[in-house]
Parts: sequence; C-alpha cells; structure tokens
Amino acid sequence: MIRLESIDARKGRFTLADVSFSLEKGSFGVVIGPAGSGKTTLLEVVAGLLPPSAGTLRLDGTDARGLAPESRGVGLVYQHAFLFPHLSVRENVAYGAADPETLEEAAERMGVTPLFTREVRGLSGGERQLVALARALARRPRLLLLDEPFSALDPRRRAVIRREVRALHREWGLTTLQVTHDFAEAGMLGDQAILLDGGRVLQSGTPAEVFRRPASPYVAEFLGAENVLGGVARDLGEAAPDWIDSAPGEFAHGHRAFAFETDGLTLYAVGDFASGAGHAVIRAEEITIARDQSHDSARNRFAGRVLEVATLGALTRVTIDVRGTPLVAALTTRSATELGIVPGLAVVATFKAMAVHLC
Amino acid sequence: MTSDSRLVPRLLSVLAALAGSLLLLFLAAPLVELVGTSGGEGLRRLGADAELRDSLLLTALCATTATLVGVLGATPLAYLLARREFPGRAVLAAILDLPLLIPHPVAGIALLLLLGRESALGGAALGVGLRIVGTPIGIIAAMLFVSAPLFVSGAREAFAKVDPRYEGVARTLGDTPWRAFYRVTLPLASRGLLASSVVMWARAVSEFGAIVILTYNPKVASVLSYDRFTSYGLSEALPVAAALALLALLPLTILRALRAESRSER
Repeated sequence: MIRLESIDARKGRFTLADVSFSLEKGSFGVVIGPAGSGKTTLLEVVAGLLPPSAGTLRLDGTDARGLAPESRGVGLVYQHAFLFPHLSVRENVAYGAADPETLEEAAERMGVTPLFTREVRGLSGGERQLVALARALARRPRLLLLDEPFSALDPRRRAVIRREVRALHREWGLTTLQVTHDFAEAGMLGDQAILLDGGRVLQSGTPAEVFRRPASPYVAEFLGAENVLGGVARDLGEAAPDWIDSAPGEFAHGHRAFAFETDGLTLYAVGDFASGAGHAVIRAEEITIARDQSHDSARNRFAGRVLEVATLGALTRVTIDVRGTPLVAALTTRSATELGIVPGLAVVATFKAMAVHLC
Repeated sequence: MTSDSRLVPRLLSVLAALAGSLLLLFLAAPLVELVGTSGGEGLRRLGADAELRDSLLLTALCATTATLVGVLGATPLAYLLARREFPGRAVLAAILDLPLLIPHPVAGIALLLLLGRESALGGAALGVGLRIVGTPIGIIAAMLFVSAPLFVSGAREAFAKVDPRYEGVARTLGDTPWRAFYRVTLPLASRGLLASSVVMWARAVSEFGAIVILTYNPKVASVLSYDRFTSYGLSEALPVAAALALLALLPLTILRALRAESRSER
C-alpha cells in the first residue's frame, strides 16, 4: 500500500505541493497529467530518490522517511529506460535480479531473452523499454513504479506488454503506480486514477468516476470532454424518476434536478451540485443526432445545423451549431453515413439529463 | 538576395578562415621547427646523454605520481561538485580553480612558504626525516599544485555528463550509494576521467615555474632545458627541448585515441 499525506517536494525549480492519495496493496494506480505536471517527480519521491520536504509517505504501513531506495522493495522504470550502456542486455536484466528463476521469467515475459547478447547501444527505443521493464521485474519488487513505460512500443506490442504487465501485477500481487498522459491507457489498466497538474493532485478516484465526474472544467477538458459550457445552475428540486435511468448505483451522485443556463440555452441535469455559476460537461459520445424530432426520453433536445464533420476511422465527430453554441457529438462513421451528415444539414441533438455533469 | 548582401558573409568567412589559419600556424610552427630541426638529435642524445635520460625519467615518474595522487584526492571532490548542492560550493570551486590563474613562480613561492624547512609543515616533515624542498617530493608537490585543478575540472564535467537517474535506477535495484557509484557512475564517467588524468599528466610534465623554485635539483626536463640554455646556449638546449616536446606528444596521442573511440561509440 502507498499512502501520501500532504507531500511537498522540490526538484530544481519544480515543486510538488500538498500531494495526498492512497493506493491499496495489490492495486494498480495510474497517474495522469500533462507534460511537466510532476508525474515523474512523484514516482521519484515514492522510490526514495527525492526526499520530500514535508508530509508523510507510508509504504505498506511503514513510515518511509529515512528508508533508502534499496530498502523500499521498489522497481522503477523510466520512460527513457536508463539502461546501463556499459553492460549487455543480460547484465542489465540481471543487475538486481532476485534469483536466476525470476530473471528468466521476467525476461521471458517481456520478450527480451532473444536480446540477451546484444549491446544496449544497438537497441531500439521500444526494446530499451522492454529491457528496463524486465530489469525492474527481475528484482521481484513489491512496488512497481512505471513512468510511461510503453510509450516507445508499437501499438501491437504495446497491447501485448500492457496485458503482460497487468497479468504479472495480479500474479505477483504487486502494487503498481504507472504514469501516463493517455487517459485510454489509464482506463484500461488502472483501479485508481490520480490526476496531477502543476505539482498538485486535481482529482483521484476510479478511472470511470474521474472520467464521468471531473472535478473541474480543466479536468474535463484534459480528459478529452469536448463540450464544456460555462453558465449558471438553478436547483429545480428532487428529480422525477424518469430523469434518472442509469443502472442502480452506477452514477448515483445525487437525485436533484437542475436547469443550467448557458448562452441562451437551457440544459437539464441531474446530480448533487450547488446552485450558481459553474460549468456543464457533456461527453460527445452521450449526444445523439437525428434528422427530425425523434421521440425518446432524453431531457435535452436542441435543433441546430451541422458546422463540421471530422471522420477518424470508425468514429465521426460532428460539430453542431445550436443558436450560436457549438455542440460536439461522436457517432459511428456508419451512422453518420446513414444519416447523410454533411455541413449545413439541419439536425436535432439530444442527450439525457444524467449525461450532463455540473462542476 | 543581392550580390552585395552575399558579399559580406563571404568576406567574413574568408577573414575568419584567415585568422584561424594564422593562429594555427603560430601555435604549430615553433614546435614543428623544434622537433624538425632537433628531434632526431634529441632521440640520438637519449642513448648518449645520461643526464637527459635521467631527467626525462624523473619527469615522467614525478608526473605519474602527482597524477595518481591528484586522481585519488580530486575524484571525490569532482563528484561532490558535479552532484551536490551545498553552501560554499561556489567558493570551493573557485579555490580549486585558483592555481590555474596565478603565475606559476608565485605558486612555487607559496609552496615554498608552506613546505620549506622554516615552515611548520616542512619542519614537521623534516622532523620525521622527510625533506620536501630540493627533492622529487618537491617536484611532485609543485606538479600536483598546478595540474590537479585541470583534473578536477575535467572530472567534474565527466560526472555531470552521467545522468543521476542511472544511479537512481541502480539504487532501486538494490545498490547502496557507494555500490551504485562503483558499478554505474564510475564506469560511465571513466573515459572522461581518463582523459582528464592524461591532461593533468601532460600539464605536470610541462611545468617549470613552480618546480624551479621548489626543486632545482634533481632536474626535471623543463629545468634541464632551461639550465642548458643559460649555461651552454641554444645548441645544447635544443635536443633537450625537442625530447620534451616528443614526450608531450604521448598524452596528446592518447587523448586523440580516446576521443576517436568516444565518437565511434556515439
């Protein structure tokens, strides 16, 4: 288990400030944040390479202050691998190996055994990352710290290794903390997501929770929400049952109904928010498009005109102008083709009150 | 672009090339002339002139000892300066650079004050039967004083080039700080350390000003060359000077080889 309480740390001019979160033993945590947000610094604090200037760090219940990196049972993989260039690949993997069997298993599962006789200087970026992963795993750490460890792998290899790391995490009962800037990866791997920016934790929780209920418009935009609208929320009282249609307990974040006024539009939302100025977040995939006034149960229904159509493989993003406010909807390319979506077309955009998150 | 606007950069390029060539000629010509006219004689004299042979041997041995002492003492200092932030770091760096800035006879006088028989340290050394001034120990002290800062500077750069994250990874793989230094940092900085020690050795070999004040006799090659010049004139000094120049070519060749190897591995 990793537990950080109000951790401050300084590295050059960069500071981590008041960082708190805890990660249960055996769980997979993912730290997400833009470049320069302090993700790597956070891993170095946990690894014991950077002493915090304030706060408490506990590893498996033990106060880690004064605990040297070599005594923490951590395995650290940097994005740029930092393989020892004066050693061969095998010597790198064997550097801190717990025993020959673990060395062989780690190398085999990361697929680096065929590289054993190679010199580090001749490896590609992806191969370096695999060797660095094998080297850290060969020590059989209790705590695995990964800094963008798959970034140089090709998509196919990335999927395979991601699965393998997740499997080893489960089989060996590791507690893993991985840094990424890719929210999709966080969603695939993590039991817990920690959002970091400017050296501070903006939000932490399950990836689904963070994705669906961003704590701020900044978090929403960082996580790829296309529709973030500023306005004023008004409490309408207890929401009628037909406003709430999610699975029981799925997004049970309150049952009050709200009207949210933004640029002449009124959106309806359900949740547990405070009235007043704020932001409404609607994910593009929650918005459906029809060519006429369809009759579904969606509480929000707006007529508009298609401004822009962007097709990216199987998905198409459609920007609709609703009385001067752009709304972005994501639909399958097949649906977009069937609907004959083209710029200038009059359409109706609908979404449920449950799909509107106020923050 | 007009022909006028092209003319200025071309003119500047020609001037820069001319200035560079003149400087190169100025630096190389005296040594080429020296080795060209007296190199053969210098080598021939090595067989016949016992004083010259002993002098070159003494120079090489004293320079090697000074370099070994310097490497042992200065490596931790260089590592400290490259890796750690601490109060007084800038002052320490300045102190280490100081011997490079003062005239070498002044360095010799300062060493004489510290190590002469009248000084506390020199007196104490004499008390245990160790004479510094006028012995090879004095030569080594003078060589160490003027050349060690070059090693510190080069070694500091060599350590700074090794990303501390290599050490960090080694620590997470079970190494203590010492073990990580020995297994990772030292091998990665080794080429830079070796190059710095070669530079230090070369500087020690060529020292004259501080040595001549501390230990005139026994004579190192630079002092012998000066002595022959003042006692017998240019014709007697030339072979000694040429032999010393040839000795200096040795570290230069090693440095070139190290740099070529480093480039081929990049």
